[in-house]
Order: sequence, then C-alpha cells, then structure tokens
Amino acid sequence: MSGIFVVAEHRKGVLRDITFEMLKKGRELAGASGESLTALVIGKNTGAFAERIAASADTVIAIDDPKLENFNGEIYQNILSAIIDEHKPLLIMIGHTAAGMDFAPGLAAAKNIAITTDCVDLKLDGQKLTAVRQLYSGKINAEISFKPAESYIVTLRSGIFPPEPSGTSGKLLSAACPDFPESAKRFIEYIEAATGTVDITQADVLVSVGQGIGDVKNIPMMEAFAQALGASLSCSRPVVDRKWLPQERQVGSSGKTVKPKVYLAVGISGAFQHLTAVKADIIIAVNKDPRAPIFNIADYGITGDLLQIIPKLQDAVLKLKGGN
Amino acid sequence: MIQAKELTEKLEMFACMQCGKCSAGCPESGKSGLNIRRIIRELTVSPLCELKQTDPLWDCTSCSACTLRCPRGLQPHELIIGLRGALIETGEIPVTARDSLEAVFKHGNPWGRAKQKREEWTEGLAIKNLSDSQAEILYYVCCAAAYDPRVQNVARSLAGIFNESGSDFGILGIEESCCGSETRRMGEAGLFEMIVEDNMKLFNSRGVKHIVATSPHCFDALKNKYNAEAITVQHYTQYVAGLLDGGKLSLTKNLDKIVAYHDPCYLGKQNDIYDEPREILKAIPGINYLEFDRRREKSLCCEGGGGRMWLEGTNTGERLAETRVKDAAEMGVDIIATACPFCLLTLEDAVKITGFEEKILIKDISELIVEAL
Repeated sequence: MSGIFVVAEHRKGVLRDITFEMLKKGRELAGASGESLTALVIGKNTGAFAERIAASADTVIAIDDPKLENFNGEIYQNILSAIIDEHKPLLIMIGHTAAGMDFAPGLAAAKNIAITTDCVDLKLDGQKLTAVRQLYSGKINAEISFKPAESYIVTLRSGIFPPEPSGTSGKLLSAACPDFPESAKRFIEYIEAATGTVDITQADVLVSVGQGIGDVKNIPMMEAFAQALGASLSCSRPVVDRKWLPQERQVGSSGKTVKPKVYLAVGISGAFQHLTAVKADIIIAVNKDPRAPIFNIADYGITGDLLQIIPKLQDAVLKLKGGN
Repeated sequence: MIQAKELTEKLEMFACMQCGKCSAGCPESGKSGLNIRRIIRELTVSPLCELKQTDPLWDCTSCSACTLRCPRGLQPHELIIGLRGALIETGEIPVTARDSLEAVFKHGNPWGRAKQKREEWTEGLAIKNLSDSQAEILYYVCCAAAYDPRVQNVARSLAGIFNESGSDFGILGIEESCCGSETRRMGEAGLFEMIVEDNMKLFNSRGVKHIVATSPHCFDALKNKYNAEAITVQHYTQYVAGLLDGGKLSLTKNLDKIVAYHDPCYLGKQNDIYDEPREILKAIPGINYLEFDRRREKSLCCEGGGGRMWLEGTNTGERLAETRVKDAAEMGVDIIATACPFCLLTLEDAVKITGFEEKILIKDISELIVEAL
C-alpha cells in the first residue's frame, strides 16, 4: 500500500520513451506525496536497462530470465501479479501503448484493483488518486476520482510528460523470476509497417499541399520538407485530380478525415469540403492570398510565396533538430 | 449476394427493351464501368447479383439522364438507388459515404457541423425565425448554404433579394435539418423516411404553407418525395422569376459580362425548370448571355449529385466539371452562372484545376442579381 511502481517498457533491445515519461510523472507524484518511486524492468539481460533507469528512480527491480526475451502480455500479468502481492504498491503506472494495454486491464481485473486508462495527468493527494483523461475526441479533460483504495492502476498516454532523468542514483535490486504457467501466446516475429504506403489518418504532423504549390515539380521539395519535420505528406483534392499525388493522400469530405496535432496547409485555399475533414489541434497556413479562407481557421498564418518560405522553414527545422 | 427481384419488379424493369438510350446518355458511362443498360439486363435475367463496396454503382451522380431518356418511362436511376440501399444493408458502403450519413443522423447535416452554428450565416442580417414569428414563406436554407462559407454568400444574397422585394419570409434557424435528398440518393431509405417524418412535423408545427429552397436538391426532395401536398415548394429561381414578372424587383445596374448558364440536373432534368433561371439572367442589364452546346435536357452533369460530394467513385477520368469549364473557356465566357450549391462548388474546383482561376468566375444566379440591384 505504499510506493509508486512504474512498469518499464522496452522493445527489440531499446527502452521506450514512455518508460522515462512515466518516471518523470512518477517522480513528481513521489516528491509531493513522500512515496518512493520504484521501476520494474522485466526481460532478458536487463542489466543495462536497470542502470539507465536508476537515474530516474529510487529503486529498480530487475526480473531477468531467458524466457522473457520477447514481450508476452500474459507472462507480464503473472509476474506483476506476484510483484503486487509481495510489495503492495499504492500506484502502478503502465504505458498506454499496445504492450501496456495488452496486460493492464487483465491485471486490474485479476487483482481487483481499480484502473483508469489513457491518462494525461495524475494527482495524488495523500492516498487519494485523481486522474485526468480525455473525452469527446479530446474536447473535454475529465477528472476521474478514485474511491479510496489500497492500490490503483493507471495507463499513461505517450508523449505527455518529458522523458527526462531526474538525476537520482537508485538502488538496483534483482528479483527472482516468479513462476508462471505456460502461456498460450507465442512470440513469432515483429512485422514492420510496409514502407511506401502512408496512413495520413494516423499522422501527428501533416504537411498538406494544395493547388497553390503550382507544379508537380515542387512535390519533391514538399516531401523533403515533410521529412525534415518528421511529418507525412497529404493534399487537397485538386492535387489528386492533377495526379500530383495518389488518392490515398487526399484530405477532404470525399477523401480522408485527419486528426493530426499539427496541420501545415501549404498552398491550400481552404474550401469547406477540405477543412471539414481537418480536425487538427493546430493549423498553420502558408498561402500567397491573404484573403484565402484558410486564414479564418488557421492558428498561425504566413502570407507569401511558399517557394521561398518552405526552404527557409526547412532550414530552421533542421537547425532546431541540430542537423546541418 | 443481393436479391434484387423485388426491386426490379417494383420498378417494372421487365418492361426494359434494352434500347440502350439510358447508358448512351449517361455522363459517367464514358469514363467509368457504370453501364445502367447492362445492370438492368443482368438483373432481369438473374436477380441475384454480387455487389461490393467498390462497385461502379457509386459512380452514378443520380443526374437521371437515363430516366429522362427512357422511351418506356422507366426510372433506371431509382434502380441504382435501390441497389445502393441493398449494398448499405450488407455494410458494403464507402467509408466517406457512411460518415456523411452518420453525420446526417447525428447532427442533421452531412458534414457533422454543430446544429447551433446553422444560422451563423445570418449574422448582421435581420431575418425572422419561424420559432417565434410568423411569415408567409419558409426560406429553406440547405446544409451547404448554412455551413459552407462559399455558399453562405448565396444564402445572404437570397435574403437580400427577399428583403428588397418586400417578401414576407422566415427561416427555421437552428431547427432546420437536412432535407435528406442525398441520404435517399445514397440509398439510405430508412434514414430518409425518418428525416421526412421529423421535417414534416416541424413544418406543420410552424404552419408552413410555402417553401422556397436554395438548393435544387432540397427543392426536389421536398417537392417530390415528402408527400406534402398542402405545401407549395419552389426553387428560388422560380420565386425570383415571379418577383421580376410582378415588378417587385428591378435589376438596374449594368453587368457587362459574358455569362453562360449551367443547368443543375436536379432543377432541369429532374424538375423541368429550364426557363426561369434564363429569364432572370437575361433580365440583368448588360449581360451578354450565351448558351452551352450541352444544355437543358442534354446538360452536362457537374458530378456533385447522388452523394458524390462525399464519394470519389471508381472512375479517375477527367471530372465533368472540368470539361464544362474548358467548354466555357472556348466560348470566351467570363462567368458561368448556376443555381445549385453543389454545381457552384464542383465548378469552382474545376476552374482551379484547369488553370482558369483568374479568367472564369463561377457565380450563383442570386449573387448576380444582388450585383445588379
């Protein structure tokens, strides 16, 4: 009934950012409530992970076993079950990721612990936990109060907290791997998303080009810009009609509805049929026409010749990223 | 597999003599796999058919050229609507069409915009609302004119014209809901029935006797599919032509432009309204009025009907609206005038794609009237 536990996540030999994001939030909660912060790392050859994590936690418990080479939600659930029985933590933080969501709900049900998923913030007042999660596609932040309980489980959304180490030098403990029954699930292989096809509906950042880019020969420039920004390239219908980009890239009421965090509309005038399918957090418009309707809904706008603006933006982005 | 026996019987497709006038007049047949004559033939021989989401059925713009040309008086375009309905029942519907239908169901408009914003276009205008006042005429705005900033200008122009002529009109404000025209044409008959019922209840509670509609699509649905015999339904071009005839509106300012009129299919081919829009345009002083070669019954469809505002269909050939703009450019036209929100939008897109953006303007007739007042 005490302590904040963070379940570290790693894949293919790399610790994932969500681990440090949770530790960052966990540290803040621990500081405010006087709880200790413990990280759990489960896998094969976890020594290097544990050392890195120690810079962000008071204690790191490493459970090392050759059988844990690849992720298996059922095995994670069994191991965590044993850990909960032994340590009785107040709060267990798990990433709201494909892996985290594979075992977190089952674990909560098996241990009869209340769970709130996909949290974007947490508050701990004494032993009382409040979580913030989003409703109505992010239009509302709802505060979820837990009934006072001995333990809580939360899953945290990725990318909300900065993944910075807190500079502690935590204790490293290695625990014996609890026994777990044979799992019906078997790891077969990792399948990478095919390169070449792009699902613009899943992109966090979109560079979207319109008729205003003037010529198909400007597409490679826009692709390079999107790449520098870590964005995907989408477009308006006229660009598809002119066959400058394939239909899978079309945003609009007869194309795809997109929900990026940032939508950078380049040379798009902003017809209603297009904008109705853009549900972005931030819209940035670049257009030569200051009266273009896109500026009515854009959060930020640049009026001018995109052929001059885009290379400058690209340079600035590369500089910020510490590139050339 | 879809059993189309009931549908072909209801629509009397066995009377088809396979003359092929339908497919020969179909604006899509030249650029898509859609072949309405063949569909009728296949279904009358074997009513069990295999359809899938990517079927060229979704290419149909519901312009009804086939129906207009059928020497047996059949309605081939209704067969397509019926088959789309069967596809929807099996869940085989393009996702963009599904989303627009869901938006109509949930929000009363196919773009899923907030109901509260439906009267945003009236800002700064004093327009009666039938929820708290009486008026002779219900001005039925249409989802496109209420929400699309480009088409809002048409609604504002019409409100100005009504005011100028001293017409006693009002709107339903945020109570107005989609007419369901495109819902029906996409094949969602059940949702359409629900819409009709709700709208009729609203019309009756507001004592509506006379409706003037912005869009030929709303006009067609309200007039022909609502069974509202007690209500006179007009398209705005009919009403305004009457105002001009009765001397209640005079167009005085010179509009020194070459103008051609594009017939909206839902107004012309489907409701035989060809003359009123032309009378209005010819009454505007200074206009040099030209006719397209493909006009009136033979008018070229803009491809915005039959749900195609929310669908790409399977064909990737040149959009007919682009063909239309190129024809206009050859004729030396300054302005293509039309009287339908969807034509306005598809033609404006086509002007951009064909590179005539600076040379040819697309205007709704109402906008030209306001310029001439």
